[in-house]
Amino acid sequence: MGIVIEKLPGITKGLPGGELLLTTADYFVDLGRRASLWPMTFGLACCAIEMMGSYASRFDFDRMGVIPRASPRQADVMIVAGTVCKKMAEPILEIYHQMPEPRFVISMGSCANCGGPYYDSYSVLKGVDRIVPVDVYIAGCPPRPEALQYAVVKLQEKIARMKLSQAGGASLQQERGSRDVVGGAAPQPLPGSETGPRIEVG
Amino acid sequence: MNKGAMAPDQEQDTPLKSDSMFINLGPQHPSTHGVLRVGLTIDGEMITKAVPDVGYLHRGTSKLAEVRGYHHCVVLTDRWDYVSAMPNNLVFCLAAERLMGLNVPPRGDVLRVLMCELNRIASHLLFFGTYGIDIGAFTPFLYAFREREMILDLFEMVSGARLTYNYIRLGGVMVDVTDEWVAKCREFIEYFKPRLDEYDTLLTYNPIFMARTEKVGLIPPQTAVNWGLSGPNLRGSGVNYDVRKADPYCGYEQYDFEIPLGKTGSCWDRYFCRVSEMRQSVRIVLQALDKLAPGPVMAPGVAKVPKPQPGEAYAHVEGARGDLGIFLVSDGQASPYRMHVKAPSFMNLAILQELLVGNKVSDVIAILGSTDIVLGEVDR
Amino acid sequence: MTQDELYSKLAAELPHLEKAQTQVKDYLTMRLPSADRLLETVRALKERLGFDYLEMVSATDWLGPVKPEGYIRNPNPIVFMAEGATPQSIPTATPNFPYRPMIELVWMLANIPEKIRLVLKLEVPREDAAVPSLCGLFKAADWQEREIYDLMGVAFTGHPNLTKILTPEFLQGHPLRKDYVHVKDRFDE
Repeated sequence: MGIVIEKLPGITKGLPGGELLLTTADYFVDLGRRASLWPMTFGLACCAIEMMGSYASRFDFDRMGVIPRASPRQADVMIVAGTVCKKMAEPILEIYHQMPEPRFVISMGSCANCGGPYYDSYSVLKGVDRIVPVDVYIAGCPPRPEALQYAVVKLQEKIARMKLSQAGGASLQQERGSRDVVGGAAPQPLPGSETGPRIEVG
Repeated sequence: MNKGAMAPDQEQDTPLKSDSMFINLGPQHPSTHGVLRVGLTIDGEMITKAVPDVGYLHRGTSKLAEVRGYHHCVVLTDRWDYVSAMPNNLVFCLAAERLMGLNVPPRGDVLRVLMCELNRIASHLLFFGTYGIDIGAFTPFLYAFREREMILDLFEMVSGARLTYNYIRLGGVMVDVTDEWVAKCREFIEYFKPRLDEYDTLLTYNPIFMARTEKVGLIPPQTAVNWGLSGPNLRGSGVNYDVRKADPYCGYEQYDFEIPLGKTGSCWDRYFCRVSEMRQSVRIVLQALDKLAPGPVMAPGVAKVPKPQPGEAYAHVEGARGDLGIFLVSDGQASPYRMHVKAPSFMNLAILQELLVGNKVSDVIAILGSTDIVLGEVDR
Repeated sequence: MTQDELYSKLAAELPHLEKAQTQVKDYLTMRLPSADRLLETVRALKERLGFDYLEMVSATDWLGPVKPEGYIRNPNPIVFMAEGATPQSIPTATPNFPYRPMIELVWMLANIPEKIRLVLKLEVPREDAAVPSLCGLFKAADWQEREIYDLMGVAFTGHPNLTKILTPEFLQGHPLRKDYVHVKDRFDE
């Protein structure tokens, strides 16, 4: 029902009192959520430098309503920028739980997606989605600032589809983690892996 | 910073009991420049004990190098010091070339020097911007990134990447630069020179900035040498040690430049060394551009799968953070038998356990920022 | 000071040092016969010959080619690799290469005013490898020795705080040893 609010002046004029606003609660809440995505300034590795580049002069993230916050308590989205090592996994999980709901995660760069160049390393977690659910993945090593901005646009599109009636706005994917849910179905054991469902950490 | 458990108080008999408090700085903190944790024990405002805890970005590069080919290892080197990746490429190639006995053609050497110096400028610009944020000035960050993006554009023109270049390869460099690139580079240097004076008025001689950094975090020269510091952290204490002069590589002895030295070893001296180094790097870049004579950029006959003779080699370069060294051992196979990285940030961070003690909490970030560490290099 | 001058000085002052078989390329490399005289030698180098800058502490495990079990190479359909594929060839041994169950420690010392460097080498057996710590002479040795202890498993006797520095607490073993086998932890599938 987005049409109503976008043509607001014309429509409200014909309404009694001229002050009535007609929209759905879903649209109204999602508009607020998607237009001011505040990420946490949380850099892990190389990608953090590109994330800083996105906040800086040339790429200017502020115009999209993306303003970095230093504390997870004030943040909406966590940009996991860089290699997630096993030693860092638990702090990340803790930070994720410190963020208020609804919370979103952008996995930036190959390392955070799947381990990247460190796919066989003994101390690297092979993808941050093993510990927290991820909304948007960005490929690249490191991705360009434009790619990060495109990810934010994609996340905004995703937020626009959120419904309050569904579990407080969280999708099944956000509840359970991206890899375990394919097309909204129950977790299937992945072909070739005998280990069964993923062990919950933390 | 979040409050941790109270430590047991030591002084039982004094009428006014003072509790010491344990504070975690990091691993998620906007001013730790990555994932560093410092356990601080404070008594009132004074720091009585500081324990840096690293390893949150330990990716096991040395172990991975033992199953990668020599060409693949260059890719791993990019990601140590991701702020200045060119010297990382260079130091690995220098060590491997010593093992293989490769000789780089002159144009290749000049291009290596050119890229390393441009990258030094880019890295110090990042330091300039983030150190401003650490002290409380946000504006320098925007100015620094404006210029840094221009350097990254130059790198993108030659290598296709903005951060992780993989441009310096075994035996030379990946591709030659074009005339258009050389013209763009000269254009940038002309644009950049007056900007350096702008930075001085913006931050360097700003009274607030000077008051917060000038008498803070003093490192005497003997202490700096004993802790094995290198780079601007060592030179800020007045020790004249720069690998480019002390153990020249890539023909650095042919370039005319000075080594900026600090006087007292304070945070401001370390900062000023970096800003002055940018001026020297501009000089080197201009000389290197003049030196570019036509010729090949890659040594002939670099094997696709190099298998050097058994032996050991050590190479070190002056990276943006200091003396970056690689100890490479070959047993005649296609992968290095052992690769040890002597990382300057690792050494520069170790001194924090001594340097922070006795300072106030508000100076912690000023001191931490002035050491200019990159956690990717600390942990490898 | 050139390398030859340094060599003749060393021969006069510290006659127990001998030239190492494998020279680290471009730098003078000396071998210590045993760990007993390490501290005495380094103190003499620091105080009498001006080597007051400890540049690097490293170690090499000479056991043989690295074991592939030290890497995580499970058949994993999520990572971009065919099932059971090995991305790089497994390292093989070079014939007639003197592999031995020893760990070789390497120290690189520098004399900044004279612009000269010296590499010291010392071999210790792999089992219960231990050498005296240089922490009393160089603060720079503190973290570098902890790193070697963590990754290579060499105990530095006399080190004030010999604990893990880089690897997580739950990691078992010393990853840079050639026979390191990765034990699965809760973050591996």
